[in-house]
Amino acid sequence: MSGPALIPRISLTWLLAAQALVIIPHLLHVPTWLIPLWLVCGGWRIQIFRQRADYPRGWVKALLLVGVTAGVLLSHGTVVGLDAGVTLLLATFVLKLLEMKRQRDAQVLIYMGFFVVVTAYLFEDSLLSFAYSLLPISCLTAALIGLQQSRFNQRPWATWRLAAGLLLQALPLMLLLFVFFPRIGPLWSMPTPDVARTGLAESMSPADVAELSRSSELAFRATFDGPIPAKERLYWRALTLDDFDGRRWSQSSINRRANVFEPPWQKQGEVLDYQILMQPTGQPWLFALDVAEPAADVGRLQVDFRVQSAVPVEQAQLYRLQSWPEAVRQPQLPDVLRRLNLRLPSGFDPRTRAWAAELRQQYPDDQALVLALLQHFNREPFHYTLRPPVLGQHSNDEFLFATRRGFCAHYAGAMVVVLRAAGIPARVVAGYQGGEVNQTGNYLLVHQFDAHAWVEYWRPGKGWQSVDPTFEVAPERIEFGLEEALADEGSFLEGDLLAGARLRNIPLLNQLRLAWDELNYNWQRWVLGYQGEQQLRWLQSWLGTVDWQRLGLTLVAAVALLLMVLATWLLKPWQARPPAQQRYLQQVERLLAHLGVQRQTGEGARRFSQRAQVAIPAQAAVIKAFFQEYERQVFAGEQVDELALRAACQRLRRALPWWQRWR
Amino acid sequence: MRSLLAAQRARWQRWLNRRIPPAREVRLDQRRIFIIPTRQGLGFLLLIALLLIGAINYQNNLAYFLAFWLLSLFLVAILNTYRSLSGLVLRHLPSVPVFVGEQACLPLELIAERRSYQALALGWPPAQLSGADVEQGGNTRVELFLPAAKRGWLKPGRLRVESRFPLGLFVAWSWVDLDQQVLVYPAPMAGAIPLADHGAQDDDEGVRIIPAGVDDYQGLRTYQPGDNKRRLHWKAYSRGQGLLVKEFAGLAGRDVWLDFASASGGVEQRLSRLTHAVLTLHQQGHAFGMRLPGVELAPSDSASHRDACLRALALYGLPT
Repeated sequence: MSGPALIPRISLTWLLAAQALVIIPHLLHVPTWLIPLWLVCGGWRIQIFRQRADYPRGWVKALLLVGVTAGVLLSHGTVVGLDAGVTLLLATFVLKLLEMKRQRDAQVLIYMGFFVVVTAYLFEDSLLSFAYSLLPISCLTAALIGLQQSRFNQRPWATWRLAAGLLLQALPLMLLLFVFFPRIGPLWSMPTPDVARTGLAESMSPADVAELSRSSELAFRATFDGPIPAKERLYWRALTLDDFDGRRWSQSSINRRANVFEPPWQKQGEVLDYQILMQPTGQPWLFALDVAEPAADVGRLQVDFRVQSAVPVEQAQLYRLQSWPEAVRQPQLPDVLRRLNLRLPSGFDPRTRAWAAELRQQYPDDQALVLALLQHFNREPFHYTLRPPVLGQHSNDEFLFATRRGFCAHYAGAMVVVLRAAGIPARVVAGYQGGEVNQTGNYLLVHQFDAHAWVEYWRPGKGWQSVDPTFEVAPERIEFGLEEALADEGSFLEGDLLAGARLRNIPLLNQLRLAWDELNYNWQRWVLGYQGEQQLRWLQSWLGTVDWQRLGLTLVAAVALLLMVLATWLLKPWQARPPAQQRYLQQVERLLAHLGVQRQTGEGARRFSQRAQVAIPAQAAVIKAFFQEYERQVFAGEQVDELALRAACQRLRRALPWWQRWR
Repeated sequence: MRSLLAAQRARWQRWLNRRIPPAREVRLDQRRIFIIPTRQGLGFLLLIALLLIGAINYQNNLAYFLAFWLLSLFLVAILNTYRSLSGLVLRHLPSVPVFVGEQACLPLELIAERRSYQALALGWPPAQLSGADVEQGGNTRVELFLPAAKRGWLKPGRLRVESRFPLGLFVAWSWVDLDQQVLVYPAPMAGAIPLADHGAQDDDEGVRIIPAGVDDYQGLRTYQPGDNKRRLHWKAYSRGQGLLVKEFAGLAGRDVWLDFASASGGVEQRLSRLTHAVLTLHQQGHAFGMRLPGVELAPSDSASHRDACLRALALYGLPT
């Protein structure tokens, strides 16, 4: 029986533990049949270990493989793509248990486990999930150690502690590599996780916005270099919706296309510097205050003043922006855009159009008309609610003249229809409004329920002007947020009872919530966001200039230094020093060996000394002196006098040719 | 080609001898420990490379984290694997002679002064290494076995001590020469006892093995180490008179001599027959002498005499 090739108990224990731990975070996006599969395979493997069952035969394995592949096909409809791939990987990971006979198989399985841990990071990279992943990582390391241990070892916790110790030893080195390793762009494109996400979409009906308003998920966080501006100035633009089909607002085809041209605009007034950490949306647009000037690697300003990155935002993204809130936007409007922003579908909302024509007659001046319209919203009994009545075919007619109950999407949509009908180019802007200030972290949290729609219309020579009809109806929505606006109705986050934002009224819990969010924000900013420009800036602040050669040298030197420190700590060489006499005797033996006198096994010191004195008469006196001193110290038990020994040793060394002296 | 290889091996041995001189006690230190990654270690590097590619392609910092952590673990494993061998003291222990065909036991002692050592492997490749653990501050006797195929000194050569602990990514090893050897006696072969021919003056007496008779009993004397234990006077011992040995006179006059010349067969066969004879005679409590070409051992019935005979048989004709 080849003992060491078998899998020791400890290793199997930790491997099974690691498998369970690795699979758990995946359960949100892999089919649940993986759990029984794991239970069956794990139980079977344990029985094999206890010699109560045999390894499965070939046909059983083939059947299992076919079953698993069919299962993946049934659950995902495909075997390619990230989700199906991960399911397949997990299933193989589990099935491999039944093929694990020798040490080498276990090794492969453990390596696979590390791979599965990384796939979990693609789906979830929060601080919490990272902290959780330390469990499977340590278990896998323990399994790796267990493979080397004796089969009779019965203390799994000792092995786990050893694994944790090794990981801790590796920690400083890892941080060093993490900080210094240059981040390069993707080598090739990879399938991305298929995650359902809440957030703004390319088109919008009021119901969609109502849906968003019920979500307490985080949309993004913003840190300002200066003080955080007042809430009523925080209109975060995501995109504009300039195409209306009678029911929905969406992006027109020109608008949707990326990089058509950058609209002309003039910087004016104060500048805002801020950094945004955006949660993944799966969409290309970035959130920005008007008018933003993005750096080239962040994104580009599009024809409707939205900022768009080159690729959809599939992971949390950190970017810096500069905005000029008072900038003049597009003082001259090209005809194409003008026509686009006046277009209305025919056959909808006849009453609204008639009313618009009336207004036009009454107010020939655009500015006056807009003001009158806003006053209308303000004065008439419009009501802000997240539970509006259902609207029919002519939705704007019904809303403006009958129900008069709705929220931002209703007001913005209706206002743009009226303005267009009156001949004023206008469009709906979709984004977020306001946000929650985290006082301790001095940053702004913007949630999905801060989603908002407002209006911009175009004035000749002055460019686009933003107005918000919702403000006329429910100023508290803008000044204090959605919760205040819905205070009477009680519909804030209804259906999301566990939402953290609901804790806002309990001071202690709210503080905890904000502190936790700050921790997560810093995690995302400093750990997950440590890429590209962020890395460069950070390294520059530490090293001055950054060139890769210098970086490489620093890294190598630092790694070497760390390893030396670790080696000293691990090996404690000061404890290993043999007594001085032994050390010098060894040195002298080595020196004499170079001079041609080798000490034989079992030869006493005195005999050796005599032989050496005869063989090297030139050094006889020195040799004799050394051995006398040595014997005196060792056998007579006299006080150790290192100096005498060392002096003799050095005299002998000088007798050697120089190139042999220090060997 | 073969001679080139042999020369290379000889040079390697010389280098090893300089670097790790043979000694009865060896402490493993940086001069004596070698270390390289194992195949699993290279596989681990491959895993790290895959993780890194994933991290780069997904721009995922946590994947970078894990890749670098494993890489650091790999580097740290060098030190830890080295540590799992360094400072270990190996000490020669005396071995017990065996007969050809038996498993020779080569014991040694492992001494852990400052820390415990796990999953050590010792042996002489290509034979499989055997495992050992030593607790901190303790010493463990390890018995390594090798088949004894030939009589004479069995010198297994340099002992390989290795450790892959803790992660199996590296193997640290050393070749130590603890001067270990086992004396292998010839395999006993049953047959007629090859007695020397004493001038044929007493033919029947000469070939006859006389069991120790009561009539030859002379008296008691005090026990001396080496006396045949079969002749201990147990009754006297139980009476509290100390260890006494019965003395017989009968055998003193006509000594039994085992003779190489009178054994049949080839050299090895003769040695085997003599071995058997030595064992039999000693067991029966006879005093006997033995003559090999160039060697003569005076008659005695002591255990040390038996061992001396066996030793002479084992080493007969071999270069010392």
